[in-house]
Amino acid sequence: MDSLKDKLIIEGVSKQYKEKEVLKSVSFTVKDGEFLSILGPSGCGKTTLLRILIGLLPADTGTVVKDGVDITKAAPDKRGMGIVFQNYALFENMTAQQNVEYALKMKKSTKADAKEKAARMLETVGLSDRAKSLPKNLSGGQQQRVAIARTLALQPDIILLDEPMSALDVATRLAMRSELKKLQASFGTTMIYVTHDQEEAFALSDRIMIMDKGEISQLDTPENICRNPANDYVRTFVLDNLRAKIDSLSKYAPGLK
Amino acid sequence: MMKQRSTSKTVIQVCLALFFIAVVIAPIITMFTRINSESIRSLTSSPNFVPAIFNSVTTALTATVISMVLAILASFSLCRTSMRGKGIFSMLFVLPMLVPSISHAYGLKALIGVNGSGMLAFMLGSNVSIYGFRGIVAGSVMYSFPVAFLMIQSILQYEDGMPYKAAAVLGIPPLRRFTGITLPYMKKTLISMFFAVFTMIMTDYGVPAALKNENFGDTLSTIMFSDATQLKLGNAGVIGIMLLVPAVVAFAVDMLVPELSQSGFVSEGVEAGKGKLPKIAAYIFCSILAIAILMPITAFIIQVFAKSYPRDMSFSLTHVQNTLKSGADRFLLNSLIYSVIAAVFGTLLAFICAYMTTRAKSRITKALHLMSITSVAIPGLVLGLSYIIFFKNTPIYGTIFIIGLANSIHFFASPYLMMYNTLGKVNPDLEAVGKTLGIKRIRIITDVIVPKVRFTMYEMVVYFFVNSMMTISAVSLLAPPAPQPLSLMISSAESQIDIGKAATVSLMILVINFIIKLIITFINRKKSKE
Repeated sequence: MDSLKDKLIIEGVSKQYKEKEVLKSVSFTVKDGEFLSILGPSGCGKTTLLRILIGLLPADTGTVVKDGVDITKAAPDKRGMGIVFQNYALFENMTAQQNVEYALKMKKSTKADAKEKAARMLETVGLSDRAKSLPKNLSGGQQQRVAIARTLALQPDIILLDEPMSALDVATRLAMRSELKKLQASFGTTMIYVTHDQEEAFALSDRIMIMDKGEISQLDTPENICRNPANDYVRTFVLDNLRAKIDSLSKYAPGLK
Repeated sequence: MMKQRSTSKTVIQVCLALFFIAVVIAPIITMFTRINSESIRSLTSSPNFVPAIFNSVTTALTATVISMVLAILASFSLCRTSMRGKGIFSMLFVLPMLVPSISHAYGLKALIGVNGSGMLAFMLGSNVSIYGFRGIVAGSVMYSFPVAFLMIQSILQYEDGMPYKAAAVLGIPPLRRFTGITLPYMKKTLISMFFAVFTMIMTDYGVPAALKNENFGDTLSTIMFSDATQLKLGNAGVIGIMLLVPAVVAFAVDMLVPELSQSGFVSEGVEAGKGKLPKIAAYIFCSILAIAILMPITAFIIQVFAKSYPRDMSFSLTHVQNTLKSGADRFLLNSLIYSVIAAVFGTLLAFICAYMTTRAKSRITKALHLMSITSVAIPGLVLGLSYIIFFKNTPIYGTIFIIGLANSIHFFASPYLMMYNTLGKVNPDLEAVGKTLGIKRIRIITDVIVPKVRFTMYEMVVYFFVNSMMTISAVSLLAPPAPQPLSLMISSAESQIDIGKAATVSLMILVINFIIKLIITFINRKKSKE
């Protein structure tokens, strides 16, 4: 991973709401093309951090540098980043195709271009046959794919995902995991994935950033985190929880071990 | 870039707040400044003042209690028994809402009549009088019942059925279920409803104006109206403040009584009782009630087409012709213009305000929300009086715009709250998605949010339209000099010929509002299919 160049450099980012310090001078670097998970319980500041990265929230202090350019104050749509929200936030009155097209049309692409590109995106996420469906007629997994296609259509080189699996059932989650990895491989996009699910973070990520109360507890590969947990928090929140899961599984299905 | 956007948001909100200060707060304050010790003295020394307070409070209190009891019985009949004809009854029960309060008073007159000359009295040969306390209470119940009914019905419909199932399994007897589950659930609504209905009746002047007599004397609202029209603005202002009191109390109670925490998730509604006896009792009760509250309306419809009601009931169009001759067509046009102005301007304003207070929060959002719902606490007569004083020397005084504005403000709170609740439930991240995809906020609003909330918008349009069609409170003080709306033809009815006209006009308003309601019901049926 060290051979890759730095894609995003976050330096001393803080955020305070009234009395509460949500982010305490957070600094880290995201490598080009990597899959980085931000893992932590609710209230640890991970969603706030994500919103600062995309530009939906201003940071109190600190800088965000992408490809050597300071984008701390750039508008969200001028950062070359996309975001997939937890609840997808699809445009409910538009079909899957129109959801993907809509932003393209705003960007001065011709109608035909936008249409063709949107169709291609839906094909990539395997939804060509549902192009004319309204979101309410799609399953949770399909809705999420539309949201991803909508984001991919603008060709961002970084995609942020805010707990995108939390509304899906277990089987769909597992399927979407491998789809996400496939998409990342074919587009070469850097992905920053926010989750509170340890298992998900370990299954998907090149590196995991573990957060606690607005600070980074540890940022490393899954393997190194297992081997050398940085502190008690990482040990209990991440490793003990994972171990408990494995133990309970092996208790009932000894063959799995 | 980001900074600029949030500035324009704040600018819009400050403008809206200034607008409300200009059209609500400043006029009311100006009205206060007209009051001096002289006006207080002359009002309190007048012999009919103290009886008027007594009359207002006793009639309002009695009518409120009757309305609420009837509304509770009616909504329990519809929601908690398996009686037949629920759809028809819920439609019939709200029909009285479509005509002005004063029409019910004239309906009662037609029914019982001046010293027993009405249809019912004619048939029964009795000698009951509808004037005074009894008549005013009856008339007030007629038009306030639907409001009370809708308030209870809407919460009974959405009550969660699970606690009842659990209680049944635990063997808790029905009476304890009622006191332990139903009453606490309804408490907040019952309290708000009491104050809302009481305020509505106390500040209404249509019914007492039509049904007061010398024995009974005046009510606060009728004194205020006559003082205002005689330009004793200070005196009227004092009563204006007195009429604000119950409304402000109602408003404060509504804000202070905590909403019963509800999961918001209703897995299944409460099951209707299967008992045969309650079913029959409910059916009989609803039938009698529907006939009773619709009799005045029926009486004035008959009156419209009877040659010389009630003695010569042969069909005739004389009243309709008379009404048209006295300019009803012109007044109808005025009313339609007022209603359209309020429907378009009011809905637009309410949408923008609700959007700002739900989805574009800033430091003044809370103040803006409060201002948006303040209008509910201002009785129409008070608003009208404050507008006379405040806008007297402005170019809009005496034009269609002042009434359009008065109606938009007078009826603002309910449609605003409808949109506030709807927008609060729309996905909160849509604007954020727009920002990250480079779609302007205004496009997200017009292309995504408006289509999503359009059914609520239709409801708002109808609310503004229907209420503007039938209001006689604020407009009665503003027109003339402003062009006269149709509804005011009713309140100027004195002689027998005039009463024929009043009936005809009431029927015209009823028909128009009924058509509008039918259209919205039809459109909303489409929504439930969606």
